[in-house]
Amino acid sequence: MTAALTLTDLAVHYPARNGLPVRAVDGVSLHVAPGETLGLVGESGCGKSTIARAVVGLQAATRGSVVVDGTEIVGADRQTLHRARARMQMVFQDPATSLNPRMTVGEAVGEPLLVRSLVRGGALREQVGMLLAEVGLPPEHAARYPHQFSGGQRQRIVIARALALRPALLVCDEPVSALDVSVRAQILNLLVTLQRSHAMATLFVSHDLAVVRHVCDRIAVMYLGRLVELAPRDALFAAPRHPYTRALLLAVPEPDPVRQRAKPRVLLVGEIPSPAYPPPGCRFHTRCPMARPVCAIEEPAWRQAGESGVACHFADEVSPSSHYQSEASAP
Amino acid sequence: MTRSFTGPALEVEDLVLSIGGAPVVDGIGFAVQPGEVLALVGESGCGKSLTAQAAIRLLPGAVERQRGRILLDGDDLYAMRERDVRRLRGRRISMIFQEPQAALDPLSTVGAQVAEATGLRGRAARDAVLAMLTEVGISDPARRIAQYPFELSGGMAQRVMIATALIARPAILIADEPTTALDVTIQAQILQLLRRLAAERGTAILLITHDMGVVADIADRVAVMYAGRIAETGRVDRVFAAPAHPYTALLLAALPRLTDVPKSELAVIAGQVPLPQHFSPACRFADRCPLVGERCRAERPPLADRGDGQLSACWHADHVGSIAA
Repeated sequence: MTAALTLTDLAVHYPARNGLPVRAVDGVSLHVAPGETLGLVGESGCGKSTIARAVVGLQAATRGSVVVDGTEIVGADRQTLHRARARMQMVFQDPATSLNPRMTVGEAVGEPLLVRSLVRGGALREQVGMLLAEVGLPPEHAARYPHQFSGGQRQRIVIARALALRPALLVCDEPVSALDVSVRAQILNLLVTLQRSHAMATLFVSHDLAVVRHVCDRIAVMYLGRLVELAPRDALFAAPRHPYTRALLLAVPEPDPVRQRAKPRVLLVGEIPSPAYPPPGCRFHTRCPMARPVCAIEEPAWRQAGESGVACHFADEVSPSSHYQSEASAP
Repeated sequence: MTRSFTGPALEVEDLVLSIGGAPVVDGIGFAVQPGEVLALVGESGCGKSLTAQAAIRLLPGAVERQRGRILLDGDDLYAMRERDVRRLRGRRISMIFQEPQAALDPLSTVGAQVAEATGLRGRAARDAVLAMLTEVGISDPARRIAQYPFELSGGMAQRVMIATALIARPAILIADEPTTALDVTIQAQILQLLRRLAAERGTAILLITHDMGVVADIADRVAVMYAGRIAETGRVDRVFAAPAHPYTALLLAALPRLTDVPKSELAVIAGQVPLPQHFSPACRFADRCPLVGERCRAERPPLADRGDGQLSACWHADHVGSIAA
């Protein structure tokens, strides 16, 4: 079966007015299988949102290939891109700015169908009603405008619109980050339900590791434009192979004072370097608690370690006993 | 400053704030002791940030203080002249914000901003600033003092803001979502810094946040706010282990955790937070509450003692345990 999404050596460089280009994404390869949800995590500037935008064709790739459901997106002509876009849809962080305030909800959700002349009239209304019902909104809300809804309801509307064309790939960029806890839970429950009912592949971009763990099957961790680790969910959380993954997991403040205060503190020193001037060798070596001389010189090759893919010279030495297996106690 | 007053560093008594007549903050009270971190937690619109702004007497024009006292080391902030309050800010009470870049003066160097609250000049000011920057973990402070805010990363700017806020050794620091705009590895650094400053300097910290993980990490006590009122308050370990208000219990159950079963159904809270003009005089959570009874719609539940410093404003506090299961 062909993958819903395949990235091969994808690079996106933004030109800078003076100095070197910003290498936001710098050689990323991965795939998302049909029906699978792949999480893409990392801190600001790691390139995760740039990948999402390159996948849906909102951002031109500098190098490499993006294949969605069998169609190459990089360098595709308008017609090919138009056809391919029917196979992929995007959900953004802020539902308020994703909806046209002058369009009713019914017009917004029905637009993808109308644009592609798939249905019209009564059949269109009926289909819009079904889509709204699918995301938990009463069909009669089709006549209302976006401002009449709360943030969580607006995100449901955006998701209904994304589902309209039954895409092979859904790209979600921080879909719950702007929502309050109680509303976030509703949207996460909805996304999990839709995963089951639609068997649609999803690329799920988020900075929130607890959210990513909740909805994703596999997880890719990025740092400064590069993948550092890609592993099945349980393997990543039980035995992170990259020192950055491990530090990231330990940095998540957990809503449990007993666990949180018993954690070993692996504080990363320093700040994330600029993607315009990534450090030589391993890009993480300037903040890595395990760095050795070779890390500053030689970029680590991508290799398999158990179920995980990892880019670290010393992946075998990263303590696999993450906090999520053993209840390690603080010093 | 040597402290002769032995009571709480900050005390808020029966605070009522309104916007256009609607009581957006309705009878909030709490106290923060020296060296203690009290977290005010809640979702958007619960009134936590307005409460913080009232505590430093910086309320937006549209907000009216109906009643309530703010006591700073025992002194009533709203009984003072505006001129005296201004002198107090940055010296006895300080505040840091979510967006450090927006709170710093873009035209003033790091050194000048941090020195401002000291009233010192020249060599003495420089020495004090260098010591303070070192204390908040800024490396190479001698170079940093000559820089402008645009040259700082988010984490570095937040450290500068913390240095500015604490250099005059205020009794209380109000931190309004201090790490919300930061990445998680930088957030961990800043939270550890705040925890250390509270412990070492005895600074009382009022922490405003929406993040239960941040509360679990650094707060000693927590007050959970809902629709302008405190739903529950108590020691963090108690409230998280055995919430005594249905809202707290549901909020905790709605969070995806690193220990739960992936893709399992998360608890949801039915409906939405009511608008302030529709706030009920009885229990404001009644319409969304799984334990709702007749009394909840008729009578406002008082914050009642549950033992060991835990208070809950719920008529059915004894049955909250059945929700979390």
